[in-house]
Amino acid sequence: MTKDTDSPVKFEIDDEQGYLIVRFSGEIDLYGTPHAREVILNCIKSDRSTVIDLSAVTYIDSSGVASLVEGYQLAKNNNLEFGLVNISDAVLSVLQLAHLDKVFSIHSSLDERIQAS
Amino acid sequence: MNHPEDDIQQAVPLSQHLALVARMAQEFATSLDIEETLNNATKQMMETMHAEAASIFLLDNNDTELVCRTCAGPIQLTGLRLAANHGIIGNAVKNNTVQMVLDVSKDPDFTAQVDEQTGFTTRSILCAPLTIKDKKLGAIELINKNTDDGLFVEDDQHILTALAAAAALAIHNAAMASALVEQERIQHELELAREIQANLLPVAEADDFPVHGYNLPMREVSGDFYDYFSLPDGRIVFNLADVSGKGMNASLLMAKTSSLFHCLGKTQSSPGQLMSMINNEVHENSTRGMFVTMVGGIFDPASNQVVLANAGHQPPMLQYADGRFEDIIGQSPPLGIVPNIEFPETTLQLDDGSLYIYTDGVTESQQNGKMLGEAGFQSMINAHRDKPVTARIKAMFESLQREDRELHDDVTVLVIENKTLTPSLTLNVPAKANYIKELRDSTRGMLQAAGSTKEQIDSITLVISEAASNIIQHAYKGNEGDIELNIHVDSYASPPQLVINLRDYAETIDISEIRSRALDDVRPGGLGVHFMKQLMDNLVYTVPEDGRGNRLEMRITIK
Repeated sequence: MTKDTDSPVKFEIDDEQGYLIVRFSGEIDLYGTPHAREVILNCIKSDRSTVIDLSAVTYIDSSGVASLVEGYQLAKNNNLEFGLVNISDAVLSVLQLAHLDKVFSIHSSLDERIQAS
Repeated sequence: MNHPEDDIQQAVPLSQHLALVARMAQEFATSLDIEETLNNATKQMMETMHAEAASIFLLDNNDTELVCRTCAGPIQLTGLRLAANHGIIGNAVKNNTVQMVLDVSKDPDFTAQVDEQTGFTTRSILCAPLTIKDKKLGAIELINKNTDDGLFVEDDQHILTALAAAAALAIHNAAMASALVEQERIQHELELAREIQANLLPVAEADDFPVHGYNLPMREVSGDFYDYFSLPDGRIVFNLADVSGKGMNASLLMAKTSSLFHCLGKTQSSPGQLMSMINNEVHENSTRGMFVTMVGGIFDPASNQVVLANAGHQPPMLQYADGRFEDIIGQSPPLGIVPNIEFPETTLQLDDGSLYIYTDGVTESQQNGKMLGEAGFQSMINAHRDKPVTARIKAMFESLQREDRELHDDVTVLVIENKTLTPSLTLNVPAKANYIKELRDSTRGMLQAAGSTKEQIDSITLVISEAASNIIQHAYKGNEGDIELNIHVDSYASPPQLVINLRDYAETIDISEIRSRALDDVRPGGLGVHFMKQLMDNLVYTVPEDGRGNRLEMRITIK
């Protein structure tokens, strides 16, 4: 488990059922995005399928959404899985606004995602 | 006569005389106390020039009299007054020439009046005029030379002329200095009057108070005034008035009328009757046809009604919530002209409208020789109409005081409005990513307090974050700067809209380069502008009035 306490965006990474699961918390805007982006891309660069838990993210803006898109594309190019789980209403409405709610694979939990596949 | 002994005898007194001239010229030039200097000078002249008496007479009483300011000798003449065109001294002043009379008994101009009064015997007189350029001040007079023959000589005449020139300059300078002191005293008193007048105006209230005013005097003192105060039952009495004429007398009548209004208005809540009472008071003591035009009234916040009476003042303008203007015409004469008359009242339903009461200094202000007029004033109001009332008044007076505008009269504006309280927010933060959260949090707090829906709050905080992110990344490009956020309600829009303004001071950007990307192109970036366009009813980029930076105005219908 990795922790970071200095960033405006907090996160924890756990290794569960063959996936790296990144649990972000806080607000992902222009200030927090560079850090969140680095965390997401590092997970995929370590050649692991990655799931992002967004339940504790109270706010995300277009820069945060853009890092999710980058993670999605990098995973796809490396034949890895990339998904979102447990997303808050605040995040969902922004993804809907970006018409990305159908692009990402979104599940209520990691278990549900494994069952669905 | 030209014996060598004579020359020697003459040489001594002449050098003494020259020394006297030099000493006195210097004393006059450096004197701070003109009275004492003239006293000393008169005494020294008398002694050095061997006269029995010396005196200085100055013109007074519109140059019709000569009054003795100082004298030396056996007889005290100080304060003595003579007709200015009379006698030998009168001739000296009138003709601006030195008068030397060796035997006064043989001179037809000599008047024995003074001798008869004093018992002194005048035998000969030397008298030199005191003038500065063409301005006559008076004359210096020497009486009876103390020599054996008792006669003044030609040298005496020259010396006295030189002394007179120095003395005249000293008297003139002293008069100028005292005029300056007087001027400063008047200026000081005007400043006191201005301070007293300013204190007669009511203290400005917060934006949620229904009455606001502002007065800009053209001189130290103003003939305009306004007032408002609350009654115990919550109603607010108000007035705005313009006293005929300008300057001190107008300001004194202003002080009187405003005091009458302030005092009587506390017990007489019918504006028409209140104005009848003030009319009679002003008429009783009005001087030289002075009068006062006034709009006085009472506002009841509970019913949102204004009752007003108009005494010869230009019609107030009521702007309805839909933006229309209506003049509220009155037909009564100004206060102080006709006693015992009635002032009919008009009742207005204010609702979300605004009542503008103003003096003609506003509409008669000029730009490029053209008067602002009522239409121009209405345009000025509309240019700032979505501002809160105090900011609107401030903006209007800033426009009126712009360099290219000429004001010829005192300018006073009173605004009465009782609009439903509208939320507003103004915030200035550094253009740094870690300050975006502050913009979001303040906006959320303001909208929550105003009772906005969660969905609307989320949308608005998102677009503000996106716009701020764009300013930081694309306008300032990482350089330091400020972001100004202003959120307010445009209650004149139908339905009312929330107006969100973001302003930066970066280089003006090319608007055509701002576009959102196609959504089917799944890639990072370009989403922010799409969010703003999607969530807002309207989005306009402009260059601010001062020509610096960029302004983004977004509007959304209030839910």
